[in-house]
Amino acid sequence: MGSVAVVIYALIPVVWIVSLSLKPATDLGDRRLIPRVLSLEHYHAVFRDPQFSAALWNSAGIAGLSTVAAVLLGMLAAYAIARLEFPGRRVILAAALSIAMFPPVSIIGPLFDVWRSIGLYDTWAGLILPYMTFTLPLAIWTLSAFFREIPWELDKAARVDGATPLQAFVHVIAPLAAPGVFTAAILVFIFAWNDFLFAISLTSTNDARTVPAAIAFFTGSSRFEQPTGSIAAASVVVTVPIIVMVLAFQRRIVAGLTAGAVKG
Amino acid sequence: MAEIELRGVSKRFPGTTAVNAASFTIRDGEFFILVGPSGCGKSTLLNMIVGLESVSEGEIRLDGELINDVDPKDRNMAMVFQSYAIYPHMTVRENLAFPLKLAKLPKARINERIARTAAMLELEDLLDRKPGALSGGQRQRVAMGRAMVRQPRVFLLDEPLSNLDAKLRVQMRTEIARLQRRLAITTVYVTHDQTEAMTLGHRIAVLRDGEVQQVGTPRDLYERPRNLFVAGFIGSPAMNFLPARYAGGCLELPVGRLALPPNVQERLADVAHPLLAGFRPDHLRSKAGVEGAGLGFDSRAEVVEWLGADVFVYLDVDLDGFAGTNLPEEAGAAAGDERRRSLVARLDPAAHVNEGDVVRLCLEARHVLVFDARTGENLTFAGHAAHRDQ
Repeated sequence: MGSVAVVIYALIPVVWIVSLSLKPATDLGDRRLIPRVLSLEHYHAVFRDPQFSAALWNSAGIAGLSTVAAVLLGMLAAYAIARLEFPGRRVILAAALSIAMFPPVSIIGPLFDVWRSIGLYDTWAGLILPYMTFTLPLAIWTLSAFFREIPWELDKAARVDGATPLQAFVHVIAPLAAPGVFTAAILVFIFAWNDFLFAISLTSTNDARTVPAAIAFFTGSSRFEQPTGSIAAASVVVTVPIIVMVLAFQRRIVAGLTAGAVKG
Repeated sequence: MAEIELRGVSKRFPGTTAVNAASFTIRDGEFFILVGPSGCGKSTLLNMIVGLESVSEGEIRLDGELINDVDPKDRNMAMVFQSYAIYPHMTVRENLAFPLKLAKLPKARINERIARTAAMLELEDLLDRKPGALSGGQRQRVAMGRAMVRQPRVFLLDEPLSNLDAKLRVQMRTEIARLQRRLAITTVYVTHDQTEAMTLGHRIAVLRDGEVQQVGTPRDLYERPRNLFVAGFIGSPAMNFLPARYAGGCLELPVGRLALPPNVQERLADVAHPLLAGFRPDHLRSKAGVEGAGLGFDSRAEVVEWLGADVFVYLDVDLDGFAGTNLPEEAGAAAGDERRRSLVARLDPAAHVNEGDVVRLCLEARHVLVFDARTGENLTFAGHAAHRDQ
């Protein structure tokens, strides 16, 4: 019962935005939840705007690359942390955690200056780097928990069976950690996809501006008009990929989030 | 052809020595057992042979070639792990194919080998199942299959039967012995179970606290144990031990005096340490059965275990006059009463012994082993030192 209440409470704004995005411009202020007339005019408008499609492309590319990079690096780091006894293992984990705790807003100013002087300002790399930095700890923690669950004898068996350490990792360990990899990937992707702070501060043109930042620059068709309909339509458009992804991998994510808790 | 030679092999971990200067040779085609209580270093030794554990000191040679630093993947040894370590995301067929694919065998050869191995282990009907859908015994066979399919030079098994139930264990034990004789591949088998060791092995190395105690055939270990530990570890029920003294050609035991053969007398003449006499439960005969030289004594049967073919009779012996001798731990010193000692006799069920009966037992001198109670060394046989370097 309580959870139903929470879900309804959380979904009302989303429903409201969907409703707004489907109303013709003249009805935007009619205070109805169910639109009187359905209209796709805002979606047409949004996609006609070259700024939005560029932003969508930037968002997909930047979030995608950040995810791949963070998960790949996270896997290697987590595997080493789970399997090897090396000095400073705990320090690395603690440092990773402290990076994740670090408030991003405190480094925005310096990062802006540094990126401008080394030419990373308003580039994909300029966003991928901070996204990776802030999500890598998350990936390492999630994945190392998964690798720790995989019996060490499997690595050893693969080595004895004739595998190099890398082959053992690729053929045996990584497939078994797949739920963890998916979990980490989704979390990283959502972080990068939703980020507004870095996107608004470190970009200035369509070269690298992502959707959350681009929406802030939407304008109405005249100075007297609020771009409410376009913003609503754009918000729906950026939400859809996330929903699709989460639904598609739902089972794996649930398996992933709970796998560490209960011994299977 | 695969002969494994260990020369002074040691493994040190920070603070401990897991294996200390192990030296022995595992002959080609031999079924060799490493046995010992848990923590004796037998698994570490196996891991060093297969290359999963580095060697701190000493040499491991495979057919004369030094393999200390050879990567496990290049040793062409196959291993069966205690947990089986079957890849859970692959079907049985893929599990068997894995080592062959890594060896880059052509597809036709892979299929042929899988078919042959599956037939040998009766895995044909299971090939397309995932390990999760297999029983313990089936998983065990898959693990064996994955090791056999490669036709390795050496076969290594780390307590492969310890996760099976008792009945299946006996069945798989015979199965493993049969496969090994058939394939004639050099096999090293780790176990803590002396019965497995005795039944499977051509030769056995007994380990304790990282030290090799004795290497020999099951018969050697049973009849001529080099020290107290081997004597107490090998054989079930365990060997009986009683404190003893040597005096004038005779061994004085709490149950009586026993004349010793002249060659043993010679060796005992100048030993000043307290002694221990050891004898197998099988060598305590009921007097009714055998008449002859030896020591006869009466004792009350405390517990009688009737097993069909055998009867184990547990007897209580008073240690009068010997209570001061501290029995070493290996001799199975019973906690508590220092003045009494329990013996086991394995008797013929035809003797009809009941609990509470006084049994007359006979012990022959040739069956008694005499140990130094301090060092644990077996003093009965000459030239035991020769065993050490085998």
